Amino acid sequence: MKVFKRVLGSLSLALSTAVFWLPIYYFVIGAFKKRTDIVKFPLVVRPEMISFDNYAYAIKKMKLFQALGNTGFITLVSLAMVVLFGSLAGFAIARINHRGFRIYYSSIIALMVIPFIGALIPLVVLIKNMGLYGSLWGNVLIQAAWNLPFSVFLYTGFMRTLPKELEEAAYIDGCSTFGVYLRIFLPLLKPVTATCLIRAGIGIWNDYLVSASILNNVRKPTLMVAIYAFFGQYVSEYGYAFAGIIMASLPIIALFALLQKYFIKGLVAGAIKG
Amino acid sequence: MSQAHTARSSHSRFERHSRFERHSSFERARIRTGVAFLVPTTLLCILFIIVPLVNVVIYSFHDWNGVSKDMAYIGLDNYRMLPSTEGFWQMAVATLAFAVGTTALVIVLSFILALALDSKNRGRFTRGLFRTLWFFPCILSGSVVGIVWRIMYNYNNGVINAILKMAGLSPVNWLETYGLTNLAVIFAAVWAQAGLCIVIFLAGLQSISPELHEAAAIDGASMGQIRRHITIPMMAPSITINVLTTSIAAFKMYELPWLVSGGLPGYSTRLLTQRIYFFAFQSGKFGVGSALAVILILIITAISLVQLVVLRKREDIY
Repeated sequence: MKVFKRVLGSLSLALSTAVFWLPIYYFVIGAFKKRTDIVKFPLVVRPEMISFDNYAYAIKKMKLFQALGNTGFITLVSLAMVVLFGSLAGFAIARINHRGFRIYYSSIIALMVIPFIGALIPLVVLIKNMGLYGSLWGNVLIQAAWNLPFSVFLYTGFMRTLPKELEEAAYIDGCSTFGVYLRIFLPLLKPVTATCLIRAGIGIWNDYLVSASILNNVRKPTLMVAIYAFFGQYVSEYGYAFAGIIMASLPIIALFALLQKYFIKGLVAGAIKG
Repeated sequence: MSQAHTARSSHSRFERHSRFERHSSFERARIRTGVAFLVPTTLLCILFIIVPLVNVVIYSFHDWNGVSKDMAYIGLDNYRMLPSTEGFWQMAVATLAFAVGTTALVIVLSFILALALDSKNRGRFTRGLFRTLWFFPCILSGSVVGIVWRIMYNYNNGVINAILKMAGLSPVNWLETYGLTNLAVIFAAVWAQAGLCIVIFLAGLQSISPELHEAAAIDGASMGQIRRHITIPMMAPSITINVLTTSIAAFKMYELPWLVSGGLPGYSTRLLTQRIYFFAFQSGKFGVGSALAVILILIITAISLVQLVVLRKREDIY
């Protein structure tokens, strides 16, 4: 009876996981198939069905390399800002004992609550007034700003757990505060930086709203905007769309595969502490 | 007497001195550097978060098309006008149904899954593998998930109807049936959100000490009793967190539901976020759009405040 229950439990888990993965299986095999095969044999793939035509077409249609360049630039530059500025602020808040820093911390953390789309309208007006409309830099600055509160939260939390003796010796040896940040703390921040990178990176890479609102979608497409090329009122060529979304998602999936451990850590920390 | 007086005064002088000492020149230099460290974060957050936040409230009191120089102050007229804008009540119902439906389904599904994964029959590797498998959709963007599900729901060519036909059932018009389309959008959102909650639940379950279960089992409690009287109460905080974060995510969602249903049929699946976008960038009514945005911010702030209160209460646990 007990063995039977166990087998049943494992079986239902495996089965439900298979159903859950059906959409992914469907679009991954679909990306290699012609439209007629996708419609007629949605769940089957045979060697003679496989072709790379969808990819060749999608690369051209969504201007893949241009879009990849734009998304890559936005993600890399804004992540650099999120990590650098966030760790500097976190260091000040966590290691310098003054009431002002604690008040500052609470106000920065409160910003995590605000939904981006709530501030979207004035943001677009602001970007236009700053002359950044249509520029990747506008996108970079917005992404950096909106990801900084969580980054400050992560870095502050992490640096608060480090022992006080850490910097004392360095100060006695005449090291400056910036030197302490640079030489003592920065090397210790690898795990929390990984958490920060993967968490913010997924959000920035996958962003649609910022890019769609402030960039010229034809001249400066990002990946998530470019995949809309396959999504007119009549989606006819499923294979193109599938190939397009796979290529647009692969880099961030690879990053996730690399940093998964840290991502889960950050997720749990964020949920427990705020 | 005079001696005592001197002693007291020297004592108080010492105290004042020590208060000053606490911020010695070294300390003050450190604080100055620390403040400098905050400058980039502060500038970015003020310019791109706080200023827009103030402006959205200001815009919501004005009649403005976003382009012209003159903004006419009209007080609360934008808010008063809202209920009479086309499809407002359908939007309100759709948004609430979407948030409640998504949250309820995500919580139930992910709790069951987390329980199944937490079972001591599973090895570390299996648990990690299945957690990754269920988490995977959370890495995909809302646009990707939306496109995939829209294609899957297609009446003639989608995979879901193909499976129904294979099973001998009649195909369903997922995207053009009132009520059913709301459900279709919810399914897609649940698929994209469940993994996050599973991870949180699993972490919560694994922090429950196994001795508690053992003790209950020795006392003769059945599996159902253990679930009801130990697991669920111990998991109450994780459940609260997941309910609140999922409902916030559902209220904020934009491109996923939009790509699945396009707000159709009628206004039946059009959400608050989609209306904000429409008023601002398609109909050029920045004032009305901003009023809706303020409402969204208030809803999410309210949910977050609940979350904060709940977390404060259990701060002693951590």
